[in-house]
Amino acid sequence: MKKLIKLEINGENFDVAISPAAYLIDVIRETVGLSGTKKGCGVGDCGACTVLIDGRPTLSCITLAVACAGKAITTIEGLSRGSELHPVQRAFIDKGAVQCGFCTPGMVLSSKALLDENPHPSQDEIKTALAGNLCRCTGYAKIIEAVEHAGRLLSGEGCDEQA
Amino acid sequence: MHSEPIEYEKPASLREFESIYAAKAEDAKILSGGTDLHVLIKEKLLAPRLLIDISDLPELRGISYDPVRGVTIMAGTKIAEIERSPLVKEHAPALAFAAANLGSNQVRWMATMAGNICHASPAAETPPVLLAHDCELLIARQGGERTLPISRFFLSYRKTALETGEYVKAFRLPPLPARAAVSYRFKGLRKAMEIDMLNIGAYLELGEDGTSVNEVRLAMGSVGPVTYRAVVTEQKLKGMRIGEEFFAAACDGVVQEATPIDDVRASAQYRNRVIGVLTRRALEECLHRIGERRG
Repeated sequence: MKKLIKLEINGENFDVAISPAAYLIDVIRETVGLSGTKKGCGVGDCGACTVLIDGRPTLSCITLAVACAGKAITTIEGLSRGSELHPVQRAFIDKGAVQCGFCTPGMVLSSKALLDENPHPSQDEIKTALAGNLCRCTGYAKIIEAVEHAGRLLSGEGCDEQA
Repeated sequence: MHSEPIEYEKPASLREFESIYAAKAEDAKILSGGTDLHVLIKEKLLAPRLLIDISDLPELRGISYDPVRGVTIMAGTKIAEIERSPLVKEHAPALAFAAANLGSNQVRWMATMAGNICHASPAAETPPVLLAHDCELLIARQGGERTLPISRFFLSYRKTALETGEYVKAFRLPPLPARAAVSYRFKGLRKAMEIDMLNIGAYLELGEDGTSVNEVRLAMGSVGPVTYRAVVTEQKLKGMRIGEEFFAAACDGVVQEATPIDDVRASAQYRNRVIGVLTRRALEECLHRIGERRG
């Protein structure tokens, strides 16, 4: 039996008819049609499926969609304002922190959650916050640089810095 | 794909949850964080007919402190909240440390400590610390509650003392005496998203002279089917004086009482060698913490 629920994704309401057993990742990608969120391992180990639920980084491959009714879901599509990228996205581009790109949506959202809580994280704090996001291109050094850079961009510093 | 649970219910209050669970506990699983439960369902190790989602019940959230009762952590509190709690950092720093080393940041924002103990894995992070604190569990069901020391909670691999219809409602960590401290040490292959190959929680309580040992608790994980205390060693250590002889007796004792197996994470031989080292480090950290507490 499908259930009718309302999901709030990136500030927009979607009425979806889903199985109670459907995972959020599949509903976001297949039912709603936002394919920016990536499905990697499917069992919560790799972090590619990370979305923000009420601002907290959450693994959408082990979260039931039906459990998210009434909560604010943010996917990678929800960060930019029109053509203007979010500072974390800008920083990932500026610092060359994207290689194949598969881990990037999850990395960016985990980074945003970190910077929202801690605007000036140390390298160790960045590593801890991103430890649940695997990058198999092993681009970690650039990713950590990008998060530090994003912290500066968000606090209005480093705007004139050469990328 | 995985077997689909047929039903999903999200009670709006604790009372409603208790009545649903009382009626359907046989076929149901309680969904709190889901970080273990969904993996078991996806891997077809579990096929519950009903999931009862208690993740947003306000009655099951929160951390409080009382000088007589100690720290109370409600069962639905997220691991990330325990990790960040000033109360936990002050009164149970080893628990904050264990919480900070569980899974990944995402897992910590989803998972709960009740889930961590009810999964009853011998490699779980929080049980050694809870055993070292001699934590008391508040276990509830429709129409009743009981308390149970955590030392009697883990019956065997993935089997707990919860009866059908019962659930873990809260954790109570009694206040520590003036010359006492708890510490946690673990060994894993990487820093995040690993399953500990060994872990230990230690409690050390000194006498008024500051050198005699009043009480020790040593709770070992990943060296048997459940996390358990080295009770024979604990008795032997009582009344000894802090010094090399004490540490050597503690290390020898845990190796005697540990019953590790060879598995994918480590060999039994390795575990037997390292558990003693972790025990010494954990007890040294307790001593250090006692020193800090006394300024």
